Amino acid sequence: MKASKYVLAVVALAIPLSSFAQVSYERLVRSDREPQNWLTYGGNFYSQRFSGLKQINTGNVGALRLAWAYQTSRPATNMESSPVVVDGIMYLTEPPSTVTAMDARTGAKVWTWSPILPKQVLALGLFQTNRGVAVLGDTVYVATIDAHLVALDAKTGAVRWNAHVEENAKGYAITAAPVAINGEIIIGSGGSEGGVRGFLDAYDAKTGKQLWRLWTVPAPGEPGSETWGDAVPAGGTTWNAGSYDPELNLLYWGTGNPAPDWNGDDRPGDNLYTCALIAVDADTGKMKWHFQFSPHETHDWDAAEPPILFDAPVGGKPRKLLGLANRNGFYYVLDRVTGRFISAVPFTKQTWAKGFDANGRPIVIPGSDPSDEGTLVYPSITGAVNWQSPSYSPLTKLFYVNAREMGSYYVKSHPNRVEAGKPMLSQGGGGERPLSGDDAYGAIRALDAVTGKNKWEFPLFSPAWVGTLATAGNLVFSGSDEGNFFALDATTGKPLWEIYLGASLRSNPVTYEAGGQQYVIVSAGTTFFAFRLP
Amino acid sequence: MNAIRCSWVGALAAMVWGFGMAPLAASPKPAAKPQVIRDMSPVVARSSPADLAVGKKLFEANCSTCHGLDGAGGRGPDIQGVAMRLGDQPTGSIIRGGIPGTAMGAFWSLTLEEAGQVLGYVKTLGASATGTVTGDAAKGRATYEKSGCAACHIISGEGGGIGPELTRVGAMRGPGYLRATLLTPGAELPHEAGAMERGRFTLYLFMHAVTKDGRAIDGMRVSENSFTIVLQDAAGRFHALRKLELRELKKEPGKSLMPSFKDRLSAAQLDNLVAYLASLKGAQ
Repeated sequence: MKASKYVLAVVALAIPLSSFAQVSYERLVRSDREPQNWLTYGGNFYSQRFSGLKQINTGNVGALRLAWAYQTSRPATNMESSPVVVDGIMYLTEPPSTVTAMDARTGAKVWTWSPILPKQVLALGLFQTNRGVAVLGDTVYVATIDAHLVALDAKTGAVRWNAHVEENAKGYAITAAPVAINGEIIIGSGGSEGGVRGFLDAYDAKTGKQLWRLWTVPAPGEPGSETWGDAVPAGGTTWNAGSYDPELNLLYWGTGNPAPDWNGDDRPGDNLYTCALIAVDADTGKMKWHFQFSPHETHDWDAAEPPILFDAPVGGKPRKLLGLANRNGFYYVLDRVTGRFISAVPFTKQTWAKGFDANGRPIVIPGSDPSDEGTLVYPSITGAVNWQSPSYSPLTKLFYVNAREMGSYYVKSHPNRVEAGKPMLSQGGGGERPLSGDDAYGAIRALDAVTGKNKWEFPLFSPAWVGTLATAGNLVFSGSDEGNFFALDATTGKPLWEIYLGASLRSNPVTYEAGGQQYVIVSAGTTFFAFRLP
Repeated sequence: MNAIRCSWVGALAAMVWGFGMAPLAASPKPAAKPQVIRDMSPVVARSSPADLAVGKKLFEANCSTCHGLDGAGGRGPDIQGVAMRLGDQPTGSIIRGGIPGTAMGAFWSLTLEEAGQVLGYVKTLGASATGTVTGDAAKGRATYEKSGCAACHIISGEGGGIGPELTRVGAMRGPGYLRATLLTPGAELPHEAGAMERGRFTLYLFMHAVTKDGRAIDGMRVSENSFTIVLQDAAGRFHALRKLELRELKKEPGKSLMPSFKDRLSAAQLDNLVAYLASLKGAQ
């Protein structure tokens, strides 16, 4: 009896293990055809974080139960990873740059890979964590905290190639998930707080050879450098994952703050192309257009939030659009073909802009810059959103964002001079004096994706660092900073299910199907929790 | 009973406040400290008038939220005289590197020079700045015992656990703060330790809740998350409430379960009680 049980167990386990399939580019383009998988960081190239699965739905979500939990081996910093799931195998990352492959039904580990990191890793203004992987062909791609891009064999975790993206000693460090497109792996870097020069890179998926690099801020003397005064242009890092339109062959990436951050005295001008959305030709790496959300930024309002691509009529005409909930408190809609501004409406309290001109340039309220004594401005330094992803449901046409209602006293300090190629180890320039916790809150908000009008909201005790997930079961999953994980009705915002996980959630939930059952997975504290119906 | 009740508070508090203990950072996207600061040269106090002026601004921007504008403590400990007790170099290391596992975070956004200016300014913060202790601590202890304080507070294991433990209150709160609390409890409540929006919630906040079936509960907030709130009433009972089952939930700042001692104590008794509380710096 014992032996036969054992054989059964092995056979059962052998099903997913033997099913490592090739993930072709075509599969990534049409990921909607296989909702059982979660093939890319953002759920699809449009970063919609929408799943067609509906086994778990408004009628039965109340019965959701824990299926398994996975505790990371390092009692670490923030767990910010959102997993990728391919044909029953899940690839998740653990701080600082570890990749683990596991059976998606049980959480049983298949392999794990960790880079050999230098003894001293420079991580300026960021946690030493990782947000996820990309998969293409039979290869898993991960970027490391010391700014390498590594290709791993999907079956074994063995290294196929290791590309040195940039010098960590200069302040470059990567936490973002790469994005895999047709034969190319796209990756940026963090480090704006350290005064690095931002870029977006493409690497050959097979060989690791760099195909192109687009600098996001000009070198001194180059076009655009006139928007920096005499300063060495610095910052504008692409520290989060971006989106891709396969038809237009355009990549859409947000860029981070200029450096130094809170004191802009030495960098008069708009500081192109920081705090902007850039559209990049995926073959050449050339910038097709840009849209700057916060010219001459001094509040650390990076625009690195993942943009969501969607198609919808505007004024009766079908349009290819891009929606982005910005850290500065506004929800923007742009034409993703031309980059033209369509609208911007506040989705949280904001006290820095009166409105916008026809081109989407903000009309700034005087006196909202950081000051010696501190200037109270909404949103706070950590923003109306941060790196976590919103979602969009093509069924409800709503944009679901975990909004953060909070202000900061922005303090200006000594200006720092950026020196090319040298990290600013002490960033200076200022900071914040945050408000009390009882003067802040959060909310899941459902915005009409075209008009930005708030259709419903579900209040949270405090501003959260959790993304949202929308499903065809007409559900929105998200979490709180206190440790609640919950499901809301996607049409009404009514809470339908909740569990307290006992520690802060700091990632994006995802969903997949394995062994005929739909799962929802999220991390809290140092543990991943996977839920399914009984 | 008290011990059980007390450990329950501890467990609940740890659950909700425990993850508010990450280092406080003065900064940005996942506001954080770098795990490695290369330049760990010792911080040298800078005390020229120009340095002190800068140090004062930096202190007010970065430190006063917890330690008070005069360093006499508020929600964070009294740090007046800290450099004298610890030495310049250890104090400088704490400013730059924080104290792991506590609310004292690493201020990585300060340059070495700025940290030196903060240190210089911290050294000027004297115990005489506010909240002078004038009373007699021994007499204050008698006042404490006679006034019924021990019914709600624990000192070195003795007393009731409805209110905050006072064993180390003198190390945690300045004398001015202690006096104000005795006169108007609830007027200025301390905040919990914590980083960014994860923490810094008001402690001992008085709240009013009404369930959908009409039951009213008044009490002090013990913990709260997006779906649940725990209140403790005047009898020390805990009420764990699901927010979805409440008709009303409101904060009542200014109110407290503790009575005012304004009209119960003479001026001298008050001075003595403050002196006694300020002297409580014992280990837990």
